Amino acid sequence: MAGYSFTRRRAILLLSLTSVILITMDLRGSSVVNFARSSFGVVFRPIESASRVLTRPIENTWNGITHYNSVVDENRRLKDLVAYNEGATISAIASVREAQELLALNGLPTLAGISSCTAQVVGSSPSNYSQTVEINRGTECGIKVGMPVLNAAGMIGKVTDVYKKRSVVMLMTDPGYSLAVKVVNAPPTTTTTVVGEVPSESSSTTSTSTTTTTIKVTTTTGIPGFTPGATNAPTMTTVSPTGVTAPPGSVGPNRPGQSTKSPITVPAGIDLPLKETGALEGRGLSKAPIVRFVENQVRFGDVKVGSPVISAGGATSLAPPDVVIGTISRVIKRSGTLGPLLEVELAADFDYLNFVRVLLYQPSTERPVQP
Amino acid sequence: MMDQFIAIAENRYTRLVLVGLMFLSLQTTLFNDLRPFGVCLQVMLLLAASSGLAKGSQTGAIAGFIVGLLYDLVLATPLGLCAAVFAIVGYLAGYAHSFVHESTWWSRMLTASIVSAVGMILLPIGFTITGSENVLTMHVFTVAFVVALFNAMFSLPVEFVCRWALREPSAAR
Repeated sequence: MAGYSFTRRRAILLLSLTSVILITMDLRGSSVVNFARSSFGVVFRPIESASRVLTRPIENTWNGITHYNSVVDENRRLKDLVAYNEGATISAIASVREAQELLALNGLPTLAGISSCTAQVVGSSPSNYSQTVEINRGTECGIKVGMPVLNAAGMIGKVTDVYKKRSVVMLMTDPGYSLAVKVVNAPPTTTTTVVGEVPSESSSTTSTSTTTTTIKVTTTTGIPGFTPGATNAPTMTTVSPTGVTAPPGSVGPNRPGQSTKSPITVPAGIDLPLKETGALEGRGLSKAPIVRFVENQVRFGDVKVGSPVISAGGATSLAPPDVVIGTISRVIKRSGTLGPLLEVELAADFDYLNFVRVLLYQPSTERPVQP
Repeated sequence: MMDQFIAIAENRYTRLVLVGLMFLSLQTTLFNDLRPFGVCLQVMLLLAASSGLAKGSQTGAIAGFIVGLLYDLVLATPLGLCAAVFAIVGYLAGYAHSFVHESTWWSRMLTASIVSAVGMILLPIGFTITGSENVLTMHVFTVAFVVALFNAMFSLPVEFVCRWALREPSAAR
């Protein structure tokens, strides 16, 4: 009995020690662990493929029983959506091109200038606690850890493990996912009022006049605050003391101490959508990701449901700026200066991921220094 | 050389690895898509628990460790975490069932169910210890309940498979 107990204790001790060593090695990024995973993948993929072929009829039967009605409903909804989006797509493409040209003219980075690698989702995580998918491209395509992954709708996640011919992508719903984002809030109705000694062009008898300029904002999409074509600066209204309206761009900025005499210029871009930076965090598959750290600024105003969320970019961010992430689905207000918590409805449908695009993007801080 | 190869091939844990690969392929394909109540069913955990029920706590712990390690190799979670948890599950299954005076089909189902639930609660605790955040939520209990129910239903046939895989080489011939 004593010998039996000793053997059992020794076995448990050995198993515990092995587990701790393996966990430590993996958390420290050991190449041995990566090699083991990669080798196992080579052996296991054929077995998995065979199993997938054999079990597909069972999966189809199950899906037929449980999802038939929802698929029919979704099919109808998608047909309506396609019809609705056809017109908007054309104007959106034109606007995106305009925006990219404008960014290129100003020497700013655009998504069009970033190389990408198209891949297909070949598997997903069978776990209840981590949301990852596996794609069929790896280091051979230039993919590196941290690179952002998109599908046609928007951002879906980032690469966390790379092997020669496959990569693991952590989805944005994973609790470990975090990304700097911008919330684009709809601008308030613009009303610029100038009150002073400056006579209006149309009024010669009154000493005080009011000139009101309302800039018309044309929205061509269903997303409030997102105006394709809004890259064009709004018209500047300039009122000179002599009552002659100067052409846009011909007048300089206000000078200190001369505000009543110098021309008044409504700054360009005053009615552009307001953006505020925050941090997006995943909360698991059953909960929508949230955005934190959006400050309660008066200028930014209340965040509206439906406001678009895009990546913030920056020197240390793993994603380039202006990649579509989703829209605000719920605003949870908090007291004090904490700012609201914003629930995000992601643009990409994570239930039906197929072809994805890995942006071969590295922030400037991650790029190797040239000798 | 050949004798050594045959000895390895005849080893009961080699058979368990082969059975584990089959179960793992089902886990990553069939059970990854069939998600009743939004929960991914855990056949690998069932295999670990059934090993303990079939062959006792010590063999259950070793078998659970092997099965968990196979599972770890396809997950993005730290390697060795599922191995440790599944080893505990295998050990608990064998240990708890050793107290049953006359084993019946329902006592084995009940044991498999309880240890599976324990395993599904230990896993997120392990993830939290190794640095994951927002994993330990109330959803864990839903997952544990659904997995426990499923594992209870299928524990008897899987236990039969484990009994076959883990029998001694002489008996297997």
